[in-house]
Amino acid sequence: MENGYSHRLMAQAKFKPSKLTLFISLLLTGFIFLLIPQNITSKINFAFIDIFGFFLNIGTSAAYYQAPENHSPFFVPRHEHNRLQVAYRNLQAQYLEQKQQIEELGRVRMSEPDPTTGLMLAKIVNRRKNEFIINRGSNDGLRKGQYVLGDNAVIGCIEQVSADISSVKLISSPACRLHVKISAPDVQTYFNGTMQGDDKDGAKIMNVPKKYQIKVGHLVYAAPKAGFLQSPRIIGEISRCVTDRSNPVVWDISVKPYYEFENITNVAVIIMKAEPD
Amino acid sequence: MKWWRFTFLVILVAVLQTSAVMNLLSLTDMRIKPDILLILLVYFAISCDSYNAVITSFALGFAADIAGMVLGPHIISYGIIGMAIAHIRNVVLLKDTWQQALTILITGIVIQVIALILTYFKASDFARTGAFEIFAVATYSAILWFLIKWLISTAGKWMGIGVHRFGTRTDGR
Repeated sequence: MENGYSHRLMAQAKFKPSKLTLFISLLLTGFIFLLIPQNITSKINFAFIDIFGFFLNIGTSAAYYQAPENHSPFFVPRHEHNRLQVAYRNLQAQYLEQKQQIEELGRVRMSEPDPTTGLMLAKIVNRRKNEFIINRGSNDGLRKGQYVLGDNAVIGCIEQVSADISSVKLISSPACRLHVKISAPDVQTYFNGTMQGDDKDGAKIMNVPKKYQIKVGHLVYAAPKAGFLQSPRIIGEISRCVTDRSNPVVWDISVKPYYEFENITNVAVIIMKAEPD
Repeated sequence: MKWWRFTFLVILVAVLQTSAVMNLLSLTDMRIKPDILLILLVYFAISCDSYNAVITSFALGFAADIAGMVLGPHIISYGIIGMAIAHIRNVVLLKDTWQQALTILITGIVIQVIALILTYFKASDFARTGAFEIFAVATYSAILWFLIKWLISTAGKWMGIGVHRFGTRTDGR
Protein backbone atom coordinates (compact mmCIF):
# COMPACT_ATOMS: atom_id res chain seq x y z
CA MET A 1 0.00 0.00 0.00
CA GLU A 2 2.70 2.39 1.10
CA ASN A 3 4.78 1.25 -1.84
CA GLY A 4 1.98 2.13 -4.28
CA TYR A 5 1.56 5.54 -2.68
CA SER A 6 5.26 6.32 -2.97
CA HIS A 7 5.17 5.21 -6.63
CA ARG A 8 2.31 7.59 -7.29
CA LEU A 9 4.19 10.43 -5.60
CA MET A 10 7.23 9.67 -7.67
CA ALA A 11 5.17 9.61 -10.87
CA GLN A 12 3.66 12.99 -9.96
CA ALA A 13 7.09 14.41 -9.25
CA LYS A 14 8.40 12.98 -12.50
CA PHE A 15 5.76 14.69 -14.65
CA LYS A 16 5.76 18.01 -12.81
CA PRO A 17 7.16 20.56 -15.26
CA SER A 18 9.48 23.30 -14.12
CA LYS A 19 8.08 26.74 -13.38
CA LEU A 20 9.56 28.22 -16.55
CA THR A 21 8.25 25.37 -18.73
CA LEU A 22 4.82 25.76 -17.19
CA PHE A 23 4.85 29.53 -17.72
CA ILE A 24 5.93 29.26 -21.36
CA SER A 25 3.40 26.49 -22.08
CA LEU A 26 0.53 28.50 -20.62
CA LEU A 27 1.70 31.67 -22.37
CA LEU A 28 1.78 29.82 -25.70
CA THR A 29 -1.72 28.54 -24.99
CA GLY A 30 -2.79 32.13 -24.48
CA PHE A 31 -1.25 33.17 -27.80
CA ILE A 32 -2.96 30.23 -29.55
CA PHE A 33 -6.30 31.43 -28.18
CA LEU A 34 -5.41 34.93 -29.34
CA LEU A 35 -4.62 33.76 -32.86
CA ILE A 36 -7.75 31.66 -33.29
CA PRO A 37 -10.32 33.77 -35.20
CA GLN A 38 -12.90 35.61 -33.11
CA ASN A 39 -15.88 33.88 -34.74
CA ILE A 40 -14.56 30.54 -33.41
CA THR A 41 -13.51 31.60 -29.91
CA SER A 42 -16.72 33.58 -29.41
CA LYS A 43 -18.50 30.21 -29.28
CA ILE A 44 -16.72 29.52 -26.00
CA ASN A 45 -17.88 32.87 -24.61
CA PHE A 46 -21.42 32.15 -25.74
CA ALA A 47 -21.26 28.65 -24.25
CA PHE A 48 -20.34 30.19 -20.88
CA ILE A 49 -23.35 32.51 -21.08
CA ASP A 50 -25.54 29.62 -22.21
CA ILE A 51 -24.53 27.45 -19.25
CA PHE A 52 -24.74 30.13 -16.57
CA GLY A 53 -27.47 32.24 -18.21
CA PHE A 54 -29.87 31.83 -15.30
CA PHE A 55 -27.36 33.07 -12.73
CA LEU A 56 -26.12 35.90 -14.95
CA ASN A 57 -29.59 37.38 -15.29
CA ILE A 58 -30.56 37.25 -11.63
CA GLY A 59 -31.57 40.62 -10.24
CA THR A 60 -32.56 42.31 -13.48
CA SER A 61 -35.76 44.31 -13.47
CA ALA A 62 -36.98 42.43 -10.40
CA ALA A 63 -37.75 45.52 -8.35
CA TYR A 64 -39.26 47.25 -11.34
CA TYR A 65 -41.80 44.56 -12.12
CA GLN A 66 -42.67 43.90 -8.50
CA ALA A 67 -44.38 47.28 -8.12
CA PRO A 68 -47.76 46.95 -6.39
CA GLU A 69 -50.61 46.45 -8.84
CA ASN A 70 -53.24 49.15 -9.10
CA HIS A 71 -56.70 47.77 -9.94
CA SER A 72 -58.17 51.09 -11.05
CA PRO A 73 -59.49 50.89 -14.65
CA PHE A 74 -57.93 54.31 -15.34
CA PHE A 75 -54.48 53.31 -14.15
CA VAL A 76 -51.77 52.48 -16.67
CA PRO A 77 -48.30 51.59 -15.36
CA ARG A 78 -45.48 53.92 -16.37
CA HIS A 79 -43.71 51.17 -18.28
CA GLU A 80 -46.88 50.36 -20.24
CA HIS A 81 -47.47 54.04 -20.92
CA ASN A 82 -43.95 54.46 -22.28
CA ARG A 83 -44.31 51.35 -24.44
CA LEU A 84 -47.56 52.58 -25.95
CA GLN A 85 -46.12 56.05 -26.46
CA VAL A 86 -43.20 54.61 -28.40
CA ALA A 87 -45.54 52.41 -30.45
CA TYR A 88 -47.55 55.52 -31.26
CA ARG A 89 -44.39 57.34 -32.40
CA ASN A 90 -43.54 54.44 -34.70
CA LEU A 91 -47.03 54.43 -36.20
CA GLN A 92 -46.75 58.16 -36.69
CA ALA A 93 -43.47 57.68 -38.58
CA GLN A 94 -44.93 54.88 -40.69
CA TYR A 95 -47.97 57.02 -41.41
CA LEU A 96 -45.80 59.93 -42.55
CA GLU A 97 -43.67 57.61 -44.67
CA GLN A 98 -46.71 56.00 -46.30
CA LYS A 99 -48.33 59.38 -46.84
CA GLN A 100 -45.22 60.50 -48.69
CA GLN A 101 -45.23 57.29 -50.73
CA ILE A 102 -48.88 57.77 -51.68
CA GLU A 103 -48.12 61.31 -52.77
CA GLU A 104 -45.19 60.00 -54.77
CA LEU A 105 -47.31 57.23 -56.27
CA GLY A 106 -49.82 59.79 -57.32
CA ARG A 107 -47.15 61.46 -59.45
CA VAL A 108 -45.08 58.56 -60.67
CA ARG A 109 -46.16 55.04 -61.41
CA MET A 110 -43.95 53.09 -59.12
CA SER A 111 -44.45 49.68 -57.67
CA GLU A 112 -43.70 49.62 -53.99
CA PRO A 113 -41.56 46.69 -52.96
CA ASP A 114 -43.41 44.72 -50.37
CA PRO A 115 -40.99 42.64 -48.37
CA THR A 116 -42.65 41.24 -45.32
CA THR A 117 -40.94 42.11 -42.08
CA GLY A 118 -40.59 39.42 -39.46
CA LEU A 119 -39.83 39.83 -35.78
CA MET A 120 -37.92 37.29 -33.76
CA LEU A 121 -38.56 37.64 -30.05
CA ALA A 122 -35.59 36.97 -27.79
CA LYS A 123 -34.81 37.02 -24.10
CA ILE A 124 -31.84 38.90 -22.70
CA VAL A 125 -29.60 36.40 -20.95
CA ASN A 126 -26.80 38.76 -20.03
CA ARG A 127 -26.15 42.50 -19.90
CA ARG A 128 -22.74 44.01 -20.34
CA LYS A 129 -21.58 47.52 -20.87
CA ASN A 130 -23.25 48.74 -24.08
CA GLU A 131 -24.12 45.17 -24.98
CA PHE A 132 -26.88 42.59 -24.50
CA ILE A 133 -26.58 38.85 -25.01
CA ILE A 134 -29.79 37.28 -26.32
CA ASN A 135 -30.97 33.69 -26.58
CA ARG A 136 -31.43 33.58 -30.36
CA GLY A 137 -28.85 32.83 -33.02
CA SER A 138 -28.24 31.91 -36.62
CA ASN A 139 -30.59 28.92 -36.26
CA ASP A 140 -33.40 31.46 -35.79
CA GLY A 141 -32.41 33.52 -38.83
CA LEU A 142 -30.30 36.12 -37.07
CA ARG A 143 -27.30 37.67 -38.78
CA LYS A 144 -24.89 40.51 -38.21
CA GLY A 145 -26.29 44.00 -38.72
CA GLN A 146 -29.97 43.28 -38.06
CA TYR A 147 -31.82 45.88 -36.03
CA VAL A 148 -33.01 45.04 -32.54
CA LEU A 149 -36.08 46.52 -30.89
CA GLY A 150 -36.73 46.90 -27.18
CA ASP A 151 -40.11 48.25 -26.08
CA ASN A 152 -40.77 49.00 -29.78
CA ALA A 153 -37.77 51.33 -30.09
CA VAL A 154 -34.51 50.51 -31.85
CA ILE A 155 -31.94 49.68 -29.18
CA GLY A 156 -29.05 48.43 -31.29
CA CYS A 157 -27.81 45.96 -33.87
CA ILE A 158 -26.75 42.34 -33.91
CA GLU A 159 -22.97 42.18 -33.50
CA GLN A 160 -21.95 38.53 -33.20
CA VAL A 161 -24.00 35.45 -33.93
CA SER A 162 -23.54 31.83 -32.93
CA ALA A 163 -25.96 28.98 -33.53
CA ASP A 164 -28.34 29.81 -30.71
CA ILE A 165 -27.04 32.95 -28.99
CA SER A 166 -26.09 36.43 -30.16
CA SER A 167 -24.69 39.70 -28.92
CA VAL A 168 -26.45 43.01 -29.46
CA LYS A 169 -24.38 46.17 -29.74
CA LEU A 170 -26.45 48.91 -28.10
CA ILE A 171 -26.80 52.35 -29.62
CA SER A 172 -24.90 53.77 -26.64
CA SER A 173 -21.80 51.87 -27.80
CA PRO A 174 -19.17 53.96 -29.64
CA ALA A 175 -18.82 50.99 -32.01
CA CYS A 176 -22.44 51.42 -33.09
CA ARG A 177 -22.89 53.86 -35.97
CA LEU A 178 -26.33 54.19 -37.50
CA HIS A 179 -27.84 56.32 -40.22
CA VAL A 180 -30.70 58.23 -38.66
CA LYS A 181 -33.49 60.59 -39.61
CA ILE A 182 -34.34 63.53 -37.36
CA SER A 183 -37.97 64.51 -37.59
CA ALA A 184 -38.72 68.18 -37.99
CA PRO A 185 -42.45 68.62 -37.42
CA ASP A 186 -42.26 72.37 -38.12
CA VAL A 187 -41.32 71.76 -41.75
CA GLN A 188 -42.81 68.23 -41.98
CA THR A 189 -39.62 66.57 -43.12
CA TYR A 190 -36.66 64.53 -41.94
CA PHE A 191 -33.02 65.55 -41.69
CA ASN A 192 -30.43 62.84 -42.26
CA GLY A 193 -27.47 62.20 -39.99
CA THR A 194 -25.14 59.61 -38.56
CA MET A 195 -25.47 58.63 -34.91
CA GLN A 196 -22.75 57.14 -32.72
CA GLY A 197 -22.92 55.94 -29.11
CA ASP A 198 -21.43 58.20 -26.44
CA ASP A 199 -20.19 55.26 -24.30
CA LYS A 200 -22.55 56.33 -21.51
CA ASP A 201 -26.29 55.96 -21.85
CA GLY A 202 -27.01 57.89 -25.02
CA ALA A 203 -25.65 58.79 -28.42
CA LYS A 204 -24.43 61.73 -30.48
CA ILE A 205 -25.37 62.85 -33.97
CA MET A 206 -22.45 64.37 -35.78
CA ASN A 207 -21.92 66.80 -38.61
CA VAL A 208 -25.48 68.07 -38.97
CA PRO A 209 -25.29 71.60 -40.48
CA LYS A 210 -26.67 74.43 -38.39
CA LYS A 211 -28.93 75.50 -41.24
CA TYR A 212 -31.23 72.62 -40.25
CA GLN A 213 -33.72 73.79 -37.65
CA ILE A 214 -33.26 71.13 -35.01
CA LYS A 215 -34.56 71.52 -31.48
CA VAL A 216 -34.58 69.63 -28.22
CA GLY A 217 -37.44 67.14 -28.21
CA HIS A 218 -37.32 66.35 -31.92
CA LEU A 219 -37.58 62.63 -32.55
CA VAL A 220 -34.76 60.50 -33.94
CA TYR A 221 -35.50 57.48 -36.13
CA ALA A 222 -33.28 54.72 -37.51
CA ALA A 223 -33.16 55.30 -41.27
CA PRO A 224 -34.41 52.55 -43.57
CA LYS A 225 -31.63 50.26 -44.78
CA ALA A 226 -31.97 47.83 -47.63
CA GLY A 227 -32.29 44.30 -46.37
CA PHE A 228 -32.45 45.33 -42.73
CA LEU A 229 -35.11 47.98 -42.12
CA GLN A 230 -38.04 48.86 -44.32
CA SER A 231 -39.39 52.01 -42.64
CA PRO A 232 -38.04 54.39 -40.02
CA ARG A 233 -38.18 53.09 -36.47
CA ILE A 234 -37.88 55.34 -33.47
CA ILE A 235 -34.70 55.44 -31.42
CA GLY A 236 -35.25 58.32 -29.04
CA GLU A 237 -35.40 62.07 -28.87
CA ILE A 238 -32.94 64.93 -28.91
CA SER A 239 -31.99 65.84 -25.37
CA ARG A 240 -29.40 68.52 -26.16
CA CYS A 241 -28.68 70.56 -29.25
CA VAL A 242 -25.96 73.19 -29.10
CA THR A 243 -23.35 74.62 -31.43
CA ASP A 244 -20.34 72.32 -31.82
CA ARG A 245 -17.34 73.93 -30.10
CA SER A 246 -14.77 72.46 -32.48
CA ASN A 247 -16.78 73.24 -35.61
CA PRO A 248 -19.27 76.12 -35.18
CA VAL A 249 -21.08 75.45 -38.45
CA VAL A 250 -22.54 72.15 -37.25
CA TRP A 251 -24.72 71.05 -34.32
CA ASP A 252 -23.56 69.05 -31.32
CA ILE A 253 -26.62 66.85 -30.82
CA SER A 254 -27.20 64.42 -27.95
CA VAL A 255 -29.84 61.72 -28.22
CA LYS A 256 -31.67 60.15 -25.30
CA PRO A 257 -32.84 56.65 -26.27
CA TYR A 258 -36.37 55.51 -25.47
CA TYR A 259 -35.21 52.31 -23.82
CA GLU A 260 -34.01 51.90 -20.26
CA PHE A 261 -31.05 49.60 -19.93
CA GLU A 262 -32.18 48.02 -16.67
CA ASN A 263 -35.84 47.54 -17.54
CA ILE A 264 -35.69 45.65 -20.80
CA THR A 265 -36.00 41.89 -20.41
CA ASN A 266 -37.09 40.91 -23.93
CA VAL A 267 -36.16 42.23 -27.35
CA ALA A 268 -37.31 41.67 -30.93
CA VAL A 269 -34.96 41.29 -33.87
CA ILE A 270 -36.16 42.62 -37.21
CA ILE A 271 -35.70 39.93 -39.86
CA MET A 272 -36.46 40.93 -43.42
CA LYS A 273 -37.78 37.82 -45.12
CA ALA A 274 -36.92 37.19 -48.76
CA GLU A 275 -39.59 38.14 -51.24
CA PRO A 276 -41.52 35.20 -52.70
CA ASP A 277 -40.67 34.51 -56.33
CA MET B 1 -3.56 24.19 -2.64
CA LYS B 2 -6.95 22.58 -3.14
CA TRP B 3 -7.48 22.95 -6.85
CA TRP B 4 -11.11 21.82 -7.00
CA ARG B 5 -12.03 24.53 -4.52
CA PHE B 6 -9.99 27.04 -6.49
CA THR B 7 -11.82 26.03 -9.70
CA PHE B 8 -15.18 26.47 -7.95
CA LEU B 9 -14.17 29.92 -6.69
CA VAL B 10 -12.95 31.05 -10.11
CA ILE B 11 -16.19 29.94 -11.82
CA LEU B 12 -18.22 31.59 -9.07
CA VAL B 13 -16.36 34.87 -9.40
CA ALA B 14 -16.46 34.78 -13.22
CA VAL B 15 -20.24 34.35 -13.09
CA LEU B 16 -20.55 37.07 -10.46
CA GLN B 17 -18.35 39.42 -12.47
CA THR B 18 -20.56 38.98 -15.54
CA SER B 19 -23.89 38.91 -13.72
CA ALA B 20 -26.42 41.69 -13.41
CA VAL B 21 -25.84 41.70 -9.65
CA MET B 22 -22.63 43.62 -10.26
CA ASN B 23 -24.70 46.46 -11.68
CA LEU B 24 -25.67 47.20 -8.08
CA LEU B 25 -22.05 48.20 -7.50
CA SER B 26 -21.67 50.16 -10.72
CA LEU B 27 -20.86 53.84 -10.51
CA THR B 28 -21.68 56.76 -12.83
CA ASP B 29 -23.38 56.48 -16.19
CA MET B 30 -20.24 54.75 -17.52
CA ARG B 31 -21.14 51.79 -15.29
CA ILE B 32 -17.75 51.47 -13.65
CA LYS B 33 -17.59 48.14 -11.82
CA PRO B 34 -14.82 46.64 -9.67
CA ASP B 35 -12.81 43.79 -11.15
CA ILE B 36 -12.92 40.95 -8.63
CA LEU B 37 -10.82 38.66 -10.83
CA LEU B 38 -8.09 41.29 -10.72
CA ILE B 39 -8.26 41.35 -6.92
CA LEU B 40 -8.00 37.56 -6.85
CA LEU B 41 -5.03 37.66 -9.20
CA VAL B 42 -3.08 39.94 -6.87
CA TYR B 43 -4.13 37.95 -3.82
CA PHE B 44 -3.04 34.59 -5.24
CA ALA B 45 0.16 35.99 -6.78
CA ILE B 46 1.19 37.33 -3.36
CA SER B 47 -0.09 34.47 -1.20
CA CYS B 48 0.84 31.35 -3.17
CA ASP B 49 4.30 30.05 -3.90
CA SER B 50 5.47 31.19 -7.32
CA TYR B 51 4.73 27.84 -9.01
CA ASN B 52 1.07 27.91 -7.99
CA ALA B 53 0.97 31.65 -8.69
CA VAL B 54 1.70 30.94 -12.37
CA ILE B 55 -1.17 28.45 -12.60
CA THR B 56 -3.65 30.65 -10.74
CA SER B 57 -2.73 33.71 -12.81
CA PHE B 58 -3.36 31.99 -16.13
CA ALA B 59 -6.54 30.35 -14.80
CA LEU B 60 -7.89 33.73 -13.66
CA GLY B 61 -6.91 35.24 -17.01
CA PHE B 62 -8.84 32.50 -18.78
CA ALA B 63 -11.84 33.22 -16.55
CA ALA B 64 -11.56 36.94 -17.34
CA ASP B 65 -11.59 36.17 -21.05
CA ILE B 66 -14.53 33.80 -20.73
CA ALA B 67 -16.42 36.46 -18.80
CA GLY B 68 -15.64 38.96 -21.56
CA MET B 69 -16.10 38.57 -25.29
CA VAL B 70 -12.58 37.99 -26.65
CA LEU B 71 -10.49 34.94 -25.79
CA GLY B 72 -6.73 35.37 -25.39
CA PRO B 73 -5.81 38.90 -24.24
CA HIS B 74 -6.45 38.41 -20.53
CA ILE B 75 -4.83 34.97 -20.37
CA ILE B 76 -1.61 36.54 -21.60
CA SER B 77 -1.79 39.75 -19.57
CA TYR B 78 -2.87 38.04 -16.33
CA GLY B 79 -0.21 35.34 -16.79
CA ILE B 80 2.64 37.78 -17.36
CA ILE B 81 1.63 40.20 -14.62
CA GLY B 82 0.82 37.42 -12.15
CA MET B 83 4.28 35.95 -12.69
CA ALA B 84 5.83 39.39 -12.27
CA ILE B 85 3.99 40.01 -8.97
CA ALA B 86 5.06 36.58 -7.68
CA HIS B 87 8.68 37.55 -8.34
CA ILE B 88 8.32 41.05 -6.90
CA ARG B 89 6.83 39.37 -3.82
CA ASN B 90 10.21 37.75 -3.19
CA VAL B 91 11.77 41.21 -2.87
CA VAL B 92 8.96 43.33 -1.43
CA LEU B 93 6.75 41.59 1.12
CA LEU B 94 3.57 43.56 0.31
CA LYS B 95 2.21 42.85 3.77
CA ASP B 96 0.29 46.04 4.41
CA THR B 97 -3.21 46.47 3.07
CA TRP B 98 -2.37 49.79 1.44
CA GLN B 99 0.57 48.17 -0.38
CA GLN B 100 -1.73 45.46 -1.66
CA ALA B 101 -4.31 48.04 -2.74
CA LEU B 102 -1.60 49.99 -4.55
CA THR B 103 -0.53 46.76 -6.26
CA ILE B 104 -4.12 46.17 -7.38
CA LEU B 105 -4.29 49.73 -8.74
CA ILE B 106 -1.04 49.51 -10.73
CA THR B 107 -1.65 45.91 -11.83
CA GLY B 108 -5.17 46.76 -12.94
CA ILE B 109 -3.96 49.57 -15.18
CA VAL B 110 -1.09 47.57 -16.69
CA ILE B 111 -3.21 44.45 -17.29
CA GLN B 112 -6.00 46.37 -18.98
CA VAL B 113 -3.58 48.30 -21.21
CA ILE B 114 -1.91 45.05 -22.34
CA ALA B 115 -5.29 43.36 -22.81
CA LEU B 116 -6.59 46.36 -24.75
CA ILE B 117 -3.65 46.26 -27.16
CA LEU B 118 -4.00 42.49 -27.68
CA THR B 119 -7.78 42.81 -28.10
CA TYR B 120 -7.20 45.45 -30.76
CA PHE B 121 -5.13 42.97 -32.77
CA LYS B 122 -7.73 40.23 -32.54
CA ALA B 123 -11.08 42.06 -32.64
CA SER B 124 -10.68 45.81 -32.91
CA ASP B 125 -14.42 46.38 -32.43
CA PHE B 126 -14.11 45.23 -28.83
CA ALA B 127 -11.08 47.39 -28.01
CA ARG B 128 -13.11 50.39 -26.89
CA THR B 129 -12.08 50.81 -23.27
CA GLY B 130 -11.06 54.38 -22.58
CA ALA B 131 -8.15 55.54 -20.40
CA PHE B 132 -10.49 56.96 -17.77
CA GLU B 133 -12.44 53.72 -17.55
CA ILE B 134 -9.26 51.67 -17.10
CA PHE B 135 -8.08 53.97 -14.31
CA ALA B 136 -11.53 54.08 -12.69
CA VAL B 137 -11.96 50.29 -12.64
CA ALA B 138 -8.47 49.80 -11.16
CA THR B 139 -9.08 52.48 -8.52
CA TYR B 140 -12.50 51.07 -7.61
CA SER B 141 -11.00 47.56 -7.30
CA ALA B 142 -8.17 48.87 -5.12
CA ILE B 143 -10.63 50.66 -2.81
CA LEU B 144 -12.86 47.58 -2.66
CA TRP B 145 -9.89 45.55 -1.47
CA PHE B 146 -10.05 47.34 1.90
CA LEU B 147 -13.64 46.09 2.30
CA ILE B 148 -13.37 42.50 1.06
CA LYS B 149 -9.88 41.60 2.19
CA TRP B 150 -11.20 39.46 5.05
CA LEU B 151 -13.56 37.63 2.69
CA ILE B 152 -10.84 36.82 0.16
CA SER B 153 -8.43 35.83 2.90
CA THR B 154 -11.05 33.46 4.33
CA ALA B 155 -11.62 31.96 0.88
CA GLY B 156 -7.84 31.59 0.53
CA LYS B 157 -7.61 29.66 3.79
CA TRP B 158 -10.52 27.46 2.65
CA MET B 159 -8.45 26.60 -0.41
CA GLY B 160 -5.55 25.68 1.79
CA ILE B 161 -3.19 28.37 0.68
CA GLY B 162 -1.73 28.32 4.17
CA VAL B 163 -1.65 31.97 5.03
CA HIS B 164 -2.50 33.25 8.45
CA ARG B 165 -2.12 36.83 7.41
CA PHE B 166 -2.22 38.24 3.93
CA GLY B 167 1.31 38.17 2.60
CA THR B 168 2.83 35.97 5.30
CA ARG B 169 3.35 32.84 3.30
CA THR B 170 3.95 29.62 5.17
CA ASP B 171 3.93 27.01 2.45
CA GLY B 172 6.78 26.57 0.02
CA ARG B 173 9.38 27.61 2.56
